[in-house]
Amino acid sequence: MNNIVLRTIVNLISRLLLYLSIYLLWRGHNAPGGGFIGGIIAAIGFVFYAIIYGPGKTRERIKLPPMYYIGGGLFFSALSTVISVFTGRQPLTGLWIDIPLPVIEDIHLGTPFLFDMGVYLVVFGMITAIIINIMEVLRWN
Amino acid sequence: MILFGFIFFPLLYIIVGFFPFPLKWKKVLALLTVGGNLVNAVNLIYKISHVGMIKVSPGSWPAPFGITLVADRMSAFLLLITAIVAVSIVLFSLQSVDRPRLERGYFQFLFGIIIGVNGSFIAGDLFNLYVWFEVMLMASFILMSHGGEQPQLEGAIKYLILNLISSFFFVAGIGLLYGKMGTLNLADLSNKISQLGDAKVILNPSLVLIVVGFAIKGALFPFFFWLPASYHTPVPVVSALFAGLLTKVGIYSLIRFYTLILYHNSAFWNPWILGVGTVSMVIGVFTASSQFDFRKKLSFHIISQVGYVVIGLGFFTLSGLAGALFFLGHNMFAKTNTYLVAGWVHKRKGTLDLKNLGDVFKESPVWSVLFIISAFSLAGLPPLSGFIGKYSLIKSGIEAHHLFISLVALFVGIFTLFSMLKIWIEVFWKPVKEGVKSFTIAGDERLMVTASGILALMSVLMGIFGVPIIDYCTEAAADLLSPEKYIRFVLNV
Repeated sequence: MNNIVLRTIVNLISRLLLYLSIYLLWRGHNAPGGGFIGGIIAAIGFVFYAIIYGPGKTRERIKLPPMYYIGGGLFFSALSTVISVFTGRQPLTGLWIDIPLPVIEDIHLGTPFLFDMGVYLVVFGMITAIIINIMEVLRWN
Repeated sequence: MILFGFIFFPLLYIIVGFFPFPLKWKKVLALLTVGGNLVNAVNLIYKISHVGMIKVSPGSWPAPFGITLVADRMSAFLLLITAIVAVSIVLFSLQSVDRPRLERGYFQFLFGIIIGVNGSFIAGDLFNLYVWFEVMLMASFILMSHGGEQPQLEGAIKYLILNLISSFFFVAGIGLLYGKMGTLNLADLSNKISQLGDAKVILNPSLVLIVVGFAIKGALFPFFFWLPASYHTPVPVVSALFAGLLTKVGIYSLIRFYTLILYHNSAFWNPWILGVGTVSMVIGVFTASSQFDFRKKLSFHIISQVGYVVIGLGFFTLSGLAGALFFLGHNMFAKTNTYLVAGWVHKRKGTLDLKNLGDVFKESPVWSVLFIISAFSLAGLPPLSGFIGKYSLIKSGIEAHHLFISLVALFVGIFTLFSMLKIWIEVFWKPVKEGVKSFTIAGDERLMVTASGILALMSVLMGIFGVPIIDYCTEAAADLLSPEKYIRFVLNV
């Protein structure tokens, strides 16, 4: 797919979707969004990228092998479940801290966000792993 | 916190498995993980024998609202046995599974199954149980097709489709039940159903769906066909793992579900449970004696052994349930070990067709002894664990005035012995037929012997220390027979 218009647009869209997915991940706790949907949207950007540029370039673009994303994501999720154990509560209990900021809203950070981040990474890694492997078997581009 | 460890330790290995550490480290880590799981299980059973029940409410949500993980005596007993079986499976895998498979995440999926099994044993919520079933199903589907040989894929497709049907039934039943009762916490459900009075009948459609789901998972009579069609295809140690753990989870769920929910309407359920158990016993043992493949023969025996546990549940007396529980535990050891020996024969001889095997006794008396301990234990000869299991089951059957079923159970025992002797003669005793090429693939086997030895030793120990273990099982059965205790503990009322 050696078409300069497509290439430019896909490059742009994949970036845009990545930012959108991070926004969705961030608002996910109480509003529509969250780790799963964010991970899917982030992966869609790279699926477009892979269709146009081929699997090799996509591997370069996501920097780490997809398996590391899955492992890292599982690690974050597992971490969020045990943090509350170390403070003497039941596992998976949500712990929150408020970070006051001067101009914009305060940041309300908690272990559910960490868990969601793990889900985001697992979903992202899973989809890119599947797509890249299928494309390599089919010799796409 | 102990309960949480059963899920957390295997999960840790799965996380580490995604990163490219050398295979040697991964092997050591896998051993450490099952070791940790075993220590955890011993610790749990020690605590449980003092306290009786333990629960965790993840997220600090109290019982009917959040998901609760509960362990009572039955769960602790099965968790301990699972942990021991897991140790020997990992030991055996280290030497019998080929390198490409080990490098492609074999242990990760193995621990996926262990998470699923552990989780099912401590789930206090019906939907949570479903989720653990799915974890187990996905991991086991991958293990079954892992390596991608043609017969493997054939078996895996049958396995996957039939298990998905079972999950479908299960989740459909859960949906209907939730629509009617508004809760899925087992304790809460039991509590609410007991207040329903005659209106209980409206629950039957959803309960039938759920029980069919369990029966497919547990390979009971009309739904067993997926098991012999798929269990002989994967790597031998994988089928040992499946035979030891997976069907038993279905039966555990049936016991849990019966003692908490179904017993409210036992006039309807009891004859079904007894009938299904009896027919499973008979059909399993008859079809087994017509097979000529080592592993296929053993697969059909799983169905027959599962039937024993179910009739114990059907008697629904203190000694019947205790016997069922004991038999479940004994069967996990003995069945896994017979499969492990099959795995060794497969590795050594390259075939499992009874007609082409022979003379193994001359080659390795150690393995022959290991096989005969487990095989005779399955058949129920004293002083091995199977004898105690069958004895207490049949005795409780006679006490509960189910004479016919007890006689059938005795009769099935004789046929089991016949089948086991047939394997013994064909594989270990008879000289290899002339014209059949006999070959031996040598290799280091110390870990494999250790793994199989652990299980055989457990069979012997369960036989020798039968009395204290039966006592423990009786206490567990007493807990099962008085669900008010469980309900009060979970709901904190």
